[in-house]
Amino acid sequence: PSVLATKAGVEGVVLGAYAQLGGRGNYFGGASNWANGSIQGGDANKGTEDGDFSDINDLVRYSLNPTSRIPSDRWNGLFEGVARSNQALTLLAAAVDDPLLRESDATRLEGEARFLRAHYYFQLQISFDQAPFLTPGLTVEEQQQVVSSSNWDKIEADFQYAYDNLPEVMADAGRANKWAAGAYLGKTLLYQGKWEPAKALLQNVVDNGQTANGQEYGLLDNYADAFNAEFDNSQESVFAVQAAANSGTTNVANPDFVLNFPHNTGSSGPGNCCGFFQPTFDIANSFRTNSGLPFLDNSYNSEANRLKTDFGVEGGDAYTPGNEEVDPRLDHSVGRRGIPYLGWGPHPGKFWIRLQSNGGPYSPKKFVYYASQEGSFTDGTSWTRGYGSMNYNIIRFSDLLLMLAEAKIETGDLAGGLELINQVRARAGNSASILKKDDGSEAANYNIAQYSSFASADEARTALHFERKLELSGEGHRFFDLRRWGKAESELDRIIAFEKQFLPGPYGGADFTTPQDLFYPIPQSQIDLQGSAVLPQNPGYN
Amino acid sequence: QTTVSGTIMDSDGFPLIGATILAKGTTVGTVADLDGNYSLTVPADVVELEYSFTGYETQTVILSGQTVVDVVMSEGIALDEIVVTGYATTTKRQTTAAISTVSTEELSAVPSGNVEQQLQGRAAGVTVITNGQPGTNSIIRIRGFGSFGGNQPLYVVDGVPVGGIGFLSPDDIEATSVLKDASSASIYGARASGGVVVIQTKRGSKTPSPLKISYDGLVGFSDPGEGQPILTPQQDADKTWEAFYNDGLVPGDANFTHPQYGSGAQPVLPDYILVGDRNGVVGSVDLEAERALYNIDANAGGLYQVVRANKEGTDWYDAITSTGVLQRHTLGLQGSTEDARYYVGMGIQTIDGILKNNGADRYSFRANTEFNLGSKVRIGENLQFTYSTQRGFIGGGGGQNVARDENAILSAFRLNPLIPVYDEFGGYAGTAARGFGNPRNPVAERDGVANNQNFNTGAFGNFYVEVEPIEALTLRSSIGGNYYAYNGNFYNRQTYENAENNGSFGYGEYQGYGYDWTWTNTANYKTSIGANNFDVLLGIESLSANNGRQSGASGINPFSRTVDFINLSTITTNPPSSNFNVPQKFFSIFGQLNYNWNDRYYLTGVLRRDGSSKFGSDNRYGVFPAVSGAWRVTGESFMQNQNLLADLKIRGGWGQMGNSNNVDADNRFNLFAQGVGQGSYPITGSNSNASNGFYLSRIGTERAKWESSETTNIGFDATFIGGKIDFVVDFWRKTTNDLLVRLPLPAVTGPVATAPFVNIGSMRNQGIDAQIIYRDKLAQDFSFELTLNGALLQNEITKFTDDTDFFDRSGTRINGTIVRNEVGRPLSSFFGYKVLGLFQSDSEVSSAPTQDGAAPGRFRFEDNNSRDENGDLTGIPDGIIDEADRTFLGSAVPDFTGGLNLKLMYKSFDLTTFFYTSLGNEIYNNSKWFTDFYGTFNGAAVSTRVLDSWTPQNTDTDVPIYESASNLSTSQQSTSYYVEDGSYLRLTNLTLGYTLPAGALGGAFSNLRFAVSGNNLFTITGYDGLDPAVGGSADTDFGVDVGNYPVSRSYNFQVSVDF
Repeated sequence: PSVLATKAGVEGVVLGAYAQLGGRGNYFGGASNWANGSIQGGDANKGTEDGDFSDINDLVRYSLNPTSRIPSDRWNGLFEGVARSNQALTLLAAAVDDPLLRESDATRLEGEARFLRAHYYFQLQISFDQAPFLTPGLTVEEQQQVVSSSNWDKIEADFQYAYDNLPEVMADAGRANKWAAGAYLGKTLLYQGKWEPAKALLQNVVDNGQTANGQEYGLLDNYADAFNAEFDNSQESVFAVQAAANSGTTNVANPDFVLNFPHNTGSSGPGNCCGFFQPTFDIANSFRTNSGLPFLDNSYNSEANRLKTDFGVEGGDAYTPGNEEVDPRLDHSVGRRGIPYLGWGPHPGKFWIRLQSNGGPYSPKKFVYYASQEGSFTDGTSWTRGYGSMNYNIIRFSDLLLMLAEAKIETGDLAGGLELINQVRARAGNSASILKKDDGSEAANYNIAQYSSFASADEARTALHFERKLELSGEGHRFFDLRRWGKAESELDRIIAFEKQFLPGPYGGADFTTPQDLFYPIPQSQIDLQGSAVLPQNPGYN
Repeated sequence: QTTVSGTIMDSDGFPLIGATILAKGTTVGTVADLDGNYSLTVPADVVELEYSFTGYETQTVILSGQTVVDVVMSEGIALDEIVVTGYATTTKRQTTAAISTVSTEELSAVPSGNVEQQLQGRAAGVTVITNGQPGTNSIIRIRGFGSFGGNQPLYVVDGVPVGGIGFLSPDDIEATSVLKDASSASIYGARASGGVVVIQTKRGSKTPSPLKISYDGLVGFSDPGEGQPILTPQQDADKTWEAFYNDGLVPGDANFTHPQYGSGAQPVLPDYILVGDRNGVVGSVDLEAERALYNIDANAGGLYQVVRANKEGTDWYDAITSTGVLQRHTLGLQGSTEDARYYVGMGIQTIDGILKNNGADRYSFRANTEFNLGSKVRIGENLQFTYSTQRGFIGGGGGQNVARDENAILSAFRLNPLIPVYDEFGGYAGTAARGFGNPRNPVAERDGVANNQNFNTGAFGNFYVEVEPIEALTLRSSIGGNYYAYNGNFYNRQTYENAENNGSFGYGEYQGYGYDWTWTNTANYKTSIGANNFDVLLGIESLSANNGRQSGASGINPFSRTVDFINLSTITTNPPSSNFNVPQKFFSIFGQLNYNWNDRYYLTGVLRRDGSSKFGSDNRYGVFPAVSGAWRVTGESFMQNQNLLADLKIRGGWGQMGNSNNVDADNRFNLFAQGVGQGSYPITGSNSNASNGFYLSRIGTERAKWESSETTNIGFDATFIGGKIDFVVDFWRKTTNDLLVRLPLPAVTGPVATAPFVNIGSMRNQGIDAQIIYRDKLAQDFSFELTLNGALLQNEITKFTDDTDFFDRSGTRINGTIVRNEVGRPLSSFFGYKVLGLFQSDSEVSSAPTQDGAAPGRFRFEDNNSRDENGDLTGIPDGIIDEADRTFLGSAVPDFTGGLNLKLMYKSFDLTTFFYTSLGNEIYNNSKWFTDFYGTFNGAAVSTRVLDSWTPQNTDTDVPIYESASNLSTSQQSTSYYVEDGSYLRLTNLTLGYTLPAGALGGAFSNLRFAVSGNNLFTITGYDGLDPAVGGSADTDFGVDVGNYPVSRSYNFQVSVDF
């Protein structure tokens, strides 16, 4: 029947299933969730101008409707991943006659394919709360008849299979191994509030896990190196979207990040396009510390506590950054005027901002490449220089530590949670993590301290939630975290109100409304094709 | 031998100067003189004289001893005009079908890069939507838009089917027929559904004639005209301030500032827009000091430009356009002997478009010969070699989709006029200076393609043998084909002048070849039994099309940027691309019977059976029948005693035709692909290498079958008043069933894989085609001919799939759907919110249906629908403006297209005017998104339309408030603001010609004509965009204007010489 029903063929189709992880030029279908998780979560606004890629305005203003582009792109991108995973499983079942296909290969290939399918369904689940769960071997007609459902149990089953069957060490660094499956399974349990099983599993992964290339899991010394292509597939990388530059297509060079660079930098800055994904005032202010600890009561936004900014200051006019006490992670997460920017010199402020009145004063900094990496870790073959070879970590070890901390706190082990949160904070305070100026002095007034204790579960929970915000800002997690914590409406309306003072245009009319803004609408185009009996619309969108 | 003399007159008694008198069966002949007199010495054995004159019926007179023969020739009833139908030829008198013919004179009147464009307005029922780019492909549709795609006519040149006719030189063409209904076209069966254009190239005449050398030369100039009006720099600055105020800002606010215009209560135009990293510099600059800092090479460190503000305003349209120059020269050699006939044509055509570094050149050599091998066998060939090149070509679909692109023409209306073309030291200027958005410098863009090269070489033609074993039986075998090869290379600049720059210098090459072949065998037998006339054609045909391979590679960073040093070996290359086509194969048998009784009653039957490799074995063969009949009313005895009708024929026909153009040859197969774009992944963790995986690229089906269209046609041909008026009218309906549609599959099946074509929808086209020709002589030296072609068309989708009634197409930068193809509507219908007007006050906003982003000065949309709890539309307004309220806003399909040709002849002068009109179509002016709103790209150039934008004082306007916001109530959604009436009337051609009297210049020439013409001299339209000729991706997505290439005014000088 098919030349692909062989070991080599199935290997190739599984590779094709991995290949969809980054979305392949699809801005919202990739795993990075910069718009789905971070813009929706208040980490960043759209940036640029109001009219540019205005589909994203729907996320900033929480005004999605069933014909909006973003849910549709995301649905398409993820189902392509599902389809590829199932194609691999279908061919694997047909490849039994290939003598080259050993049983161990078959088990591994099934594990990888099911891991990937679970990943794509996890993403569908957190954005849409439902999706038709497809299985291998269905005809085209049958695939269209599968009724949409919530799929947590099937996602768990796939990850469980992968966790039980995948080897610890894989032939290639980019493959999912046993521990990646364990971590993702733990995350799946955590998202459902299954705290006890999540804690047990995550504890095992944290204690015994290793990367696909055989490194024991651990944190890098320098927080910034988690966002540096030269440290791809390090001990901190639990599972990542692999990226490569100049490989023949920019579709594997972080195409979903390509807009997210400072604007109009000429050759003096990275990317040169297009000024999207500018960190919010709120996220920048969140990094303010008070004797090394964050303002857990959100008073970081108060007049007294907020960061000094160059909002309204022309590029050529004098400006000195403030000397407020800040978490060192601020200047690895937020590009701000006067602070060294990845070897491109101090961020020049408004010169690199497309339109301050629309995006505020900040630039993205994670997932932006260093000046020294231009041409070697970037891909210059397309219309802009902003294609990079930096991996995006779908799960990073510090994320794993904080997930375990959360499971512990939610099961009453406050001390256990404290220790893990402090482990993350300790790394952030490492001397290696402190951003220095060219003269060796610290680039700002950095002060980060560890928590001494949590007086209550509430305090621990608040600290944990805040820590995830600081540690993982801009990495696509925030919105999904807020929602599962039941804080989406209150937090996001609070952030909207604050941002609106500075950016009345982009946040004009913004309002987070429950229930519809909790999940994306099912794309109307898909309902039109499959019918609302197979694919019912989500609440609030009819 | 005897001498015969006499005069030759027309029916009005005017002499027919130059009419030919030939002693039949010999080469002995003469022509009539200025008074119509002739004198001919007739060889002894000759008994018949043949009198002929272009446009008149040829007469034969049998000599029976008389020496004076006066002849009155009747003109006009072009009943004996030869009509080529591909497998055969017939005459207008004989045909029972709807066929339009287009004369070579008409085809070559308006110069263009592509002959198919010349059909515009020349044949009733042929819709031609084309643009101004030399060598562009066009939308050509015969009798409506019968399918969701692949609905272009079949072109048959000298009996060989071919995909396009851009390679033909118009002066090489002898006859063109457009087969419009099933009766005429279904002899081509499965490929005839879109109609057939049959072209025969020139050849030597059957009767011996001496060598005739003809030269046709044409030189033309085209004027780019004016661009769209945009704001001057001062107006732009003032409107920017207006936007600030409308945003609720006041001077002193942090956001009340512009990088160029300052922060004051009044905007200030700067003297320099960029000096290093300083923007909006007011005052003088020490240029010598700055020169030392100047750097436009990104590889040499930070960029440093000094750009003076152009306060007068740069006319970017003017900067990217210039006068286009066209030249066409054709040399033709034509002649015949008893046993050999030949035509040799050599043509050169070079066209420089009005756009910088844009043009199309073609060099062609044609040789058509035929030889008698004894009395029963003929062999011949028609062969053309072509070299062509297109320079700086823009637009997808061979240029057909140019209007849909964000190209340099759009940039010319987007780039702020305060920016000059060049900086102070010779580099390009652009949006690297802040505050102007992100459009690119279109002059730099056009300069960047100057070194790009490509060429296409092709050979096209056929060899044939004809045998007449017995009287009236002709057996013919023809093998024909098309071979082409192309090669090209391109460079991508590393830019520095823009806000967003290309990071690298790129280079690439590509090449490929392809071929088709067709082998046709026919037998044709004609006989008469009494008054019963029979003409039978039987044929068998096989063909293979779309064979070929393509490859290409590209990369970046050559060692030197001097083009002389750059090839694929001197750059860092990406993996090359390569692929080959899956050819389609056809096998067909066909037959046709023409019968008439006494030239009064006619009956034609056609049957064709086609098999195609595109379809599975169960559905491979399709049978396509057609029958038609005609009654020559004027042949009846009761019509003999009237003078009004010289001829009247009533025709009717029914038939089926097929189509599979849309379907790929691999439609039957599930295919996986390996392609870096979709399937590669750096699984090893490498930062520079990716492994190539597999992905499902195509979902196949064995179930697809022929799309079939059924046509009925009723028409009549009438000739009035001794041939002065011809009137042809056809009423027709074409219903296409089992429409081949790429089934829209839901994403759950994997959206990357190409869905198969399956037979679902249906469509109906109906209309009226009419042609009136009125010719008369007002005096001996003064005559005229008026030709009016018109076609009414109604197109309607009657079914899509069982589950779905529509499918959508999206716009450029506008969110979501702009075109919806829906049952009950014409194809390519525009879709969006209907603007009722602008909100005038807060109280109007609060009393109106709820609408996101509503505010005074913004669009107020019509509330006309809602959805129920199942998500189904109810048709009931619900007080909320949401996606359910989107509605139909017009269609790109014209209701009426027509042409008017008026030819006046006075003595040696002739004057021709040709008007073309398209009525009842809308255009989606997507370019307004860029040019009519401040909030779409702040700082980009803006249309002067915004001078009338809404303010609390200026409320009587359609133009919304000028502000930064971009949301549902402003520019973001598809609305009726973008939809405009696209009707127009154009004076396409006005030609004045002068023919030297015969015998002038000592008789050195047998014919010498000079002409001067103007094309597209004026266009009457209400359309706001650059030009209303907006094409696009037919059939489901056209009439959308983003950056259309305009049809512009041009002037030509022509000379025709015959030796």
